[in-house]
Amino acid sequence: MKYVVYAALVLLVVPFQVVLADRISIAGIHPDLALVAVCLIGFYIGEVEAVAVGVAIGFMLDLFSGGAHWGNLFLKPLTGLLAGRARRNLVNLTPKVALLLLFGLSIVSGLIMFLLKSLTGAGADFFAAARGIIFPQACFDAVLGVALLLLIQRWTSARAPLAATSYE
Amino acid sequence: MISLQSFTGAKRAVFLLLAILAAALLVFPESRHGPLQAVGRLMVATVALPLRGVDAVNSGIEAVWSRYLSLHQVREENATLRQEIARLKGDSARLREMAAATDRLRALLELKERLPYATVAARVVGRDPTNWYRSIVINKGRKDGLKADMGVLTPAGVVGRIVKVYDHLAVVLLIIDRNNAVTGLIQRTRDEGIVEGTEKGLARIKYLPLLSTVKVGDQVVTSGLAGGLPRGLPIGRITKIERREAELFLSAEIEPDSDFSRFDEVLIVTSPRETTGSSTPPFPVRPGSPDRPDTEALR
Repeated sequence: MKYVVYAALVLLVVPFQVVLADRISIAGIHPDLALVAVCLIGFYIGEVEAVAVGVAIGFMLDLFSGGAHWGNLFLKPLTGLLAGRARRNLVNLTPKVALLLLFGLSIVSGLIMFLLKSLTGAGADFFAAARGIIFPQACFDAVLGVALLLLIQRWTSARAPLAATSYE
Repeated sequence: MISLQSFTGAKRAVFLLLAILAAALLVFPESRHGPLQAVGRLMVATVALPLRGVDAVNSGIEAVWSRYLSLHQVREENATLRQEIARLKGDSARLREMAAATDRLRALLELKERLPYATVAARVVGRDPTNWYRSIVINKGRKDGLKADMGVLTPAGVVGRIVKVYDHLAVVLLIIDRNNAVTGLIQRTRDEGIVEGTEKGLARIKYLPLLSTVKVGDQVVTSGLAGGLPRGLPIGRITKIERREAELFLSAEIEPDSDFSRFDEVLIVTSPRETTGSSTPPFPVRPGSPDRPDTEALR
């Protein structure tokens, strides 16, 4: 069942992002749903599965992106790995912590993408990229990720039996 | 027990009296009914008051009931009308969308007919999934004869070039992306340069001669020297000229003619060489410039 969900995620996230990018964008910036998905897998399941899903989603993203290099193929598993490792060192994943983690991971991902693009492409203005893409996208990713996290937490707590909280 | 005899005697007398009275009422003319009518009027006057009351209550109930029925009817009618309005609004929006699509497709068809190059029309199905590149995804691919580097345009002007091709999809890098570069020339001065995208979502023409007389408002078109874009397709207009000390070339900012946020259909030039034997140029030629295309025809 878990693998079916992963397969559905890989097959749906990228088409959703390609087709509905305009509809979910604010001031021309849309959230990186793939990054959010990989981070949530890292937070909830672990780094191994986050890396595996990250490779698949990153590959799909690069197929549909106008970029010539395979930046997402490298970045998405890395993000999943970092999310999984961060989760291991946390006692409790509260929404605030998740918000900070998602924001930080999105910033890291954006900075690496900027480096890749400026080294392999026509070069780019860092401040323009930071102001126009990296920072707004990180905010967007963090808010969306926490919203999804809260939904997942609500859903899982509704499914969990009450007796599980008792030590008796 | 009642005595049959006494009953018979008393009742008989009463019945007889009543029979006589009835016969008298029937037989006597109406004018003789005066006393009877006087008694009747008194009784009617007495009964009239409760009768009016009952009538008023009845009328009230009838009015309330009637109003309730009317309201019920109006409510049903209102709901039906609301549904009708919603349906008509939907129809109206759909028709407006169809009209807009028809206009766009007509313009694209006119351009396709006017261009002497082999072209394929495609629909835009998506945008770049990342925020790092400015590209679109179209619904035609290798199976439709598309290849990498083919030029893509709309009735407003050049859009970009194909960078990735799959069987039924292709990715088009827009000319406003920094990684894109097409050869262009200033239509008035014939100075050639390289057009590439900027961070601001505009385009810039670089490597113009230092002595170029380019000015703001000049039209930039494709030069057709390289890539899949034929000569003379409009790219945009010069909005700012950048002259820097100690640089061998000029560069200028271009505002593209195409609105990159709003096109749904595009044409892909599958062969930048002319395929028709027509002697007329693809775009009307301005007087005094035999090889100069008039880009107004594309607007």
